[in-house]
Amino acid sequence: MLQSLFDGILVGSILSLGAIGLTLIMHILRFANFSHAELISMGAYFTLTLDAVFTAFSRALASKLPMLSVSVSLMLAMLVALLITGILAAIIDKLVFKRLREQAGPLTMVFASFGIGLIIRNVIGLVYGLKSMHYSSDIAFAMVISSDPLLLIKADQLFILALTLLVMVSLHLFMSRTSVGFALKAISENPVLAQINGINLASMVRLAWLLGGALAAIAGVCYALNNQLSPVMGRDLVLSLFAAAIVGGIGSIYGAALGGLIVGLASSLALLIIPAGYKPAVPFLIILLVLYLRPNGLFGEER
Amino acid sequence: MNIRNESRTRLYSSCLLFLAGLFLLAPPSSAQAADCTTRIGAVLPTSVDWGRPIAATAQFAVELYNESGGVKGCDVEMVLRDTQTDPKIGVDAAKALVDLDKVPVLIGAVSSGVSMPILTSVTAPSGVMQMSCCSSSTAFTDVAKEGKTKGLWFRTFATTRNQAAIAAKLIKDRGYKSVGIFYKNDDWGQDIGKLVAADLETLGIEVTTSAAINDSQPSYRAEVTSVLKTKPEAIYLALYPTEGISLVREWLSLGGTQEFVAANSLKSDEFRDGVGMQYLEKLIGHDSAPPRTDSATTFVDMYTAKFSSEPNGPGLPNSFDAVMISLLAMDAADELDGTTIAASVPRITDPAGTPIFPDVAGLKQARELLAAGENISYQGATGAVVFDANGDVSAPAVAWTFSETGVEEAAYYPLADVDAFIATLTR
Amino acid sequence: MIGIISYLAFFLTIALILAIAVLGLNLQWGYTGLFNGGIVAFFGAGAYGIILLGGPERIDGFGGFSLPYPLALLGGIALSGVLALMVGLATTRLRHDYLAIATFGVAIAMESVMRNASWLTGGATGLRGFERPLEAIVGNSFAYNLLFLFFVLVCVSLVFLFLEILVRSPFGRLLRAVRENERAARSLGKSPSSVRLTAFVIGAMIMGLSGALYATFYAFISPQDLAPILTFQIWAMLIVGGSGNNLGAVLGTLVVWGAWVGSGWLLTALAPTHLQLYTGSIQYILVGAIIVSSLLWRPRGLLPEKLSIHALPPPDPGSPGQGSESQPANSPNQPAENTQ
Repeated sequence: MLQSLFDGILVGSILSLGAIGLTLIMHILRFANFSHAELISMGAYFTLTLDAVFTAFSRALASKLPMLSVSVSLMLAMLVALLITGILAAIIDKLVFKRLREQAGPLTMVFASFGIGLIIRNVIGLVYGLKSMHYSSDIAFAMVISSDPLLLIKADQLFILALTLLVMVSLHLFMSRTSVGFALKAISENPVLAQINGINLASMVRLAWLLGGALAAIAGVCYALNNQLSPVMGRDLVLSLFAAAIVGGIGSIYGAALGGLIVGLASSLALLIIPAGYKPAVPFLIILLVLYLRPNGLFGEER
Repeated sequence: MNIRNESRTRLYSSCLLFLAGLFLLAPPSSAQAADCTTRIGAVLPTSVDWGRPIAATAQFAVELYNESGGVKGCDVEMVLRDTQTDPKIGVDAAKALVDLDKVPVLIGAVSSGVSMPILTSVTAPSGVMQMSCCSSSTAFTDVAKEGKTKGLWFRTFATTRNQAAIAAKLIKDRGYKSVGIFYKNDDWGQDIGKLVAADLETLGIEVTTSAAINDSQPSYRAEVTSVLKTKPEAIYLALYPTEGISLVREWLSLGGTQEFVAANSLKSDEFRDGVGMQYLEKLIGHDSAPPRTDSATTFVDMYTAKFSSEPNGPGLPNSFDAVMISLLAMDAADELDGTTIAASVPRITDPAGTPIFPDVAGLKQARELLAAGENISYQGATGAVVFDANGDVSAPAVAWTFSETGVEEAAYYPLADVDAFIATLTR
Repeated sequence: MIGIISYLAFFLTIALILAIAVLGLNLQWGYTGLFNGGIVAFFGAGAYGIILLGGPERIDGFGGFSLPYPLALLGGIALSGVLALMVGLATTRLRHDYLAIATFGVAIAMESVMRNASWLTGGATGLRGFERPLEAIVGNSFAYNLLFLFFVLVCVSLVFLFLEILVRSPFGRLLRAVRENERAARSLGKSPSSVRLTAFVIGAMIMGLSGALYATFYAFISPQDLAPILTFQIWAMLIVGGSGNNLGAVLGTLVVWGAWVGSGWLLTALAPTHLQLYTGSIQYILVGAIIVSSLLWRPRGLLPEKLSIHALPPPDPGSPGQGSESQPANSPNQPAENTQ
């Protein structure tokens, strides 16, 4: 029970991290971006390549941080990969979504994003192969916090939890304390009025994609750190992320973080009462329940 | 619409026209070389991680056969289509191969959920022989018993019953008192998971819990914890490498036992390297046995030479045998239509026939014997395969362990022993 | 030649069975604005329903009542309707993405039950069907496939005509009124929630018919047929074809399904043998590219919805997401709510 509770929170923190990026894009650009899944995968794979490049330059970079299975070069690689993924996200927007935003509704964009997802996922499969990969082949063993009741925790997961909290708070401060953040909010709430007030729509959209891509990449690296890299990693993750974002209410950063924890906890605790075969359905049953009580999610506003 | 849009529209329409043109200009016969070729079809999930090596092995078998001279002196061309593990995509691909490419033999599919509709709505009605490497569902036996396969259906995947019994035997011989089971939540996994659990109960070994492992879950932490807390002495794994690696790493990282018993699907380098050899020293697995002869290493050696890794992975030997038996049956048949080819399969797998090994020399010899009207006993990658009336195979079994270089055989169980052990279980 | 006809008949049969589901979705999304993300649940209810009702008796589980085919077919459709009624009562008050994810959840739950509850559904192995109606009499499988194609063609035509009459009726105008402006509809004394529920249930029953025909044709159904990709395929067909236009829905089905399987055929025909291992991945890339470029080329679909009112100005092209999400994709002639 205690272990399931902690498992839920720690697995949930990865979902929270991913859902924050997703909810931001869904809020500002007003469509459910399925290719967010592939931004997650791209971030993870770019980090893999860059990590190999950096360690080839200097062996010193390969040393692990204390307690964690994260090396210095991996952190550096992640930072560069964030930037690349963000820029690629903005380029995809310019090539595809920009035109559709002007001429069609959000649903057309949703299915265009699905098509883009198909393309990117299979290009990754062709380039890196279909088999799963790891940043480090060592297994990061869990620390035994207590043996009765059994409680085991991995240092990596605490690191991810801390990172999630950091991202959540700094993003919230950015959105609610800086003028750029206000501008982003204004664009999402009333684009026409925002433009009248001199906000440059094109540059704000670019910024939103940079942010969204970077957040997806962080989530991808953290997920791969704890599990593995595979071309379908983003696809496997993204449904749970949508679940988390929607439970929390679209656009709410705290809501997404909380939603991630709820989905993680639900999947973990549910196995105490139902057979494991039914696990994929659990997050969605939670959503049905939450939406039945609150049709716009926990923190969402009607719009 | 502005000018830029218009030019773009023109670009797109010309792209579409170009594609449409390709459709018209590329009739299926365009690939025909000057020499004669014989086509067979294959529908396998090449866009899935575990499916691509199965398809590569099938292609390897075709290459080898062509090297030895091909079917009736003609090169074999295997037209390979992806199923995307989506039944309707797989069935459509099969139908196109049968109707447009006119293949008399179809290799595939992997999942029973794809193979079954192909069998009932494409191959059996069209009189095309279908040979699957890996579909394990017991439903095929039922279809065959009802006579609906018309004798056109075969599979080189040894029945799950024997494999489950050997798993129980390995667990018993190692003296484990309690076992937790992880099984893949598909038709094969559900089948073997239930059979092993039932066999263990019969043997008086406690099954602490069985956890179904669904594909593509973001985390297997909860499943691992649910088994971990029942504190089993050992773990039985009926998984594929992808989720197997993910789950076993999670299991080990939480301090779970290293006493593993694994199904044949985990006999793979990917799994050994993904988890790490140092954690798998105590693992013992079961599989169907290769032939007990001096040439037992024929397939392994040839495969290693070609792919520079041992043929360890779900379905690889089965895929090789499925193609080889089909091609030999084509050489044995008087005419290249599905029914005749299927009727010739017993000539290839006749236990009283001359033993044949699937290398170039062996295949040449096989062709001479078949031309002389003699039968052969194909000693393939999964052993001396013999199909029963329903197209199923029973095979002797082996126990294996991982080693630094690959996989080592730990014990051999002849078919008689396996059957005797099953008899004690059902007593 | 006979091979080509045989294949085309087969291709058309599956395409038209899918087209029925796309028409059902068009009623829900195209005309009523309901974002149903759980198409496979209703498709699956029809498919499993018909096999449980019409199939031979099962030794190891529930079902197999061997009902005559028409009864089993109606039973499958009714089962989808009942499921839709229960889901609809709980969810149709939700909007857009929220409705989509809730119905998607229903579909995932449905797939889980199909995969795990072996006593009812045969588990992951699936359920084998019954002797297909008239198959024993016709004998020849080629002739039978043509007959089945004719039967499916009749079903599609009936559904098509029914929907055309429905959307031209006063009820059809009510559907669009609810889609465009729920508050206005309510102010006219209409009950938007019961209108939405009715459209949702009828649409789902049409999807159930599609599933029932699918299971009849293969004489087999398994959880693998109910993967979420099917929901995506059906949606892509509608959006590419043009939502709010029944002819567009059918055209979109033929185009997307043709591109999906045709790209695979084309690639294997062109690729040398050693590259055929990779054509699966390339096929996906091609399918994605075709969908994206089709949407870029015709953002509102190949055959967009025809609206009879042109009095209102088009929306400001500069606004992202074209204003509020309460606007369905296919109604650009309406000003976005939050730009007013």
